[in-house]
Amino acid sequence: MIKLLKYLASKQNFLVFVFLELIALILIIKTNNYTQLKTHNYQTEIAGSINKITNIINQYFYLKTYNDSLLKQNANLLNQLQNRQQNANNIPPTLPGQYQYIPAYVISNQYDLQHNTLLIDKGESSGVKPETGVITTNGIVGIVQKTSLHYAKVISILNKNLKINVALKNTNYSGFLQWTGKGTNRFEVIDLPVNAPIKKGDTIITGGMSGIFPKGIPIGKIFGYRLVPGKKSYVIFIKSFSDMTNLGPVYVIKNRLKTEIDSLKL
Amino acid sequence: MRHHIEYILLLSVFLILQIIWFNHIRLFGYYTPIVFIYPLLILPLLKNESLNLLLAFFTGLFLDTISNTGGIFAATAVFITYVRKIYFMIFKNPAQKLDYIQIANIAITQKILYFSIFVLMAQIMIYALDAFNIGLLILKWKIIIINTLISIFFIVFFDLIFFNPAKK
Repeated sequence: MIKLLKYLASKQNFLVFVFLELIALILIIKTNNYTQLKTHNYQTEIAGSINKITNIINQYFYLKTYNDSLLKQNANLLNQLQNRQQNANNIPPTLPGQYQYIPAYVISNQYDLQHNTLLIDKGESSGVKPETGVITTNGIVGIVQKTSLHYAKVISILNKNLKINVALKNTNYSGFLQWTGKGTNRFEVIDLPVNAPIKKGDTIITGGMSGIFPKGIPIGKIFGYRLVPGKKSYVIFIKSFSDMTNLGPVYVIKNRLKTEIDSLKL
Repeated sequence: MRHHIEYILLLSVFLILQIIWFNHIRLFGYYTPIVFIYPLLILPLLKNESLNLLLAFFTGLFLDTISNTGGIFAATAVFITYVRKIYFMIFKNPAQKLDYIQIANIAITQKILYFSIFVLMAQIMIYALDAFNIGLLILKWKIIIINTLISIFFIVFFDLIFFNPAKK
């Protein structure tokens, strides 16, 4: 027994090394697992506080870009208001007030890993809940994974675990968007039926079937596609409209009827 | 122990630099230098090795908490801190004893080689642990190489500030 203890003491550094590496690997595996979402609120809160301070410093360098983005958003809203007034007698595409837009700022953004996430400065206190969509004026950003009181962690669309329901514009053919991992604006759409009328330059939009994003948010343009042998579906390669490396103001989309829709899907 | 307090202070400074500045540089829109490993690379080789490993682990874990990366940085920091002695076993002068090697005192050319190997090792490990897939890791070779070169530049720059040969 004493010999064993002496031997272990002589290998103390190696044992410490193995022990610490094991803890780190367990942490990595736990973080990568999509089902382990509901814990570590404190982690998000601490990370959020520090990243917010960092972001305050960085925001000064991007004021002009943010202003441009807000101006564009204002212009879009004005256009929508005008169209709505002109088409007052038409039936709106969704129920009035079904989607609520909560403005937020990205305070930490990853885009160089394979499983990227980002943090926004709005949490439960602002009504942000898990499984709500996040967009910019140029397209979609991701889906809220977990929330703390003042912050939310978002699974970026630059995350290989995320699949989003999308559709071919002006049709009802839908598939799933996923990141290729090969560039911040390169994506592919899988499971699009073989009879869909696809051509290069067509636009891909959100499909609206998940209830997370409303239908019709532009995502990107098709630059190539191929048929999956034996599967009777296309894989489409698209270039996204949004620049995921330069995110500032975003909008969290809250679907007031999501619980009701989900209860019927069960 | 006094030396270790100095190293903890140095680590804290580099962590703050990494989080507040280097994580947001995004050179050419994509490249992020990794400088937090510099204090780990100049830790004493064999003195209080377990304490060194714990320091490395908590440094990495702190960065993981900020970056939402689980334990990627912790695993990398512990690994490079431990395997440094293997590097010196291979590259040291045969007459020299491992216990007496002081990283601050080795020649600048040898130091650049030492930094380069470990920065490259850290970059590969970070991207490998993130991807968990050799194919995806190979796709990232360009980013790994450029990140490594930029990181080496900054680390050598900091090393010249802290251990300027002209001051000796």
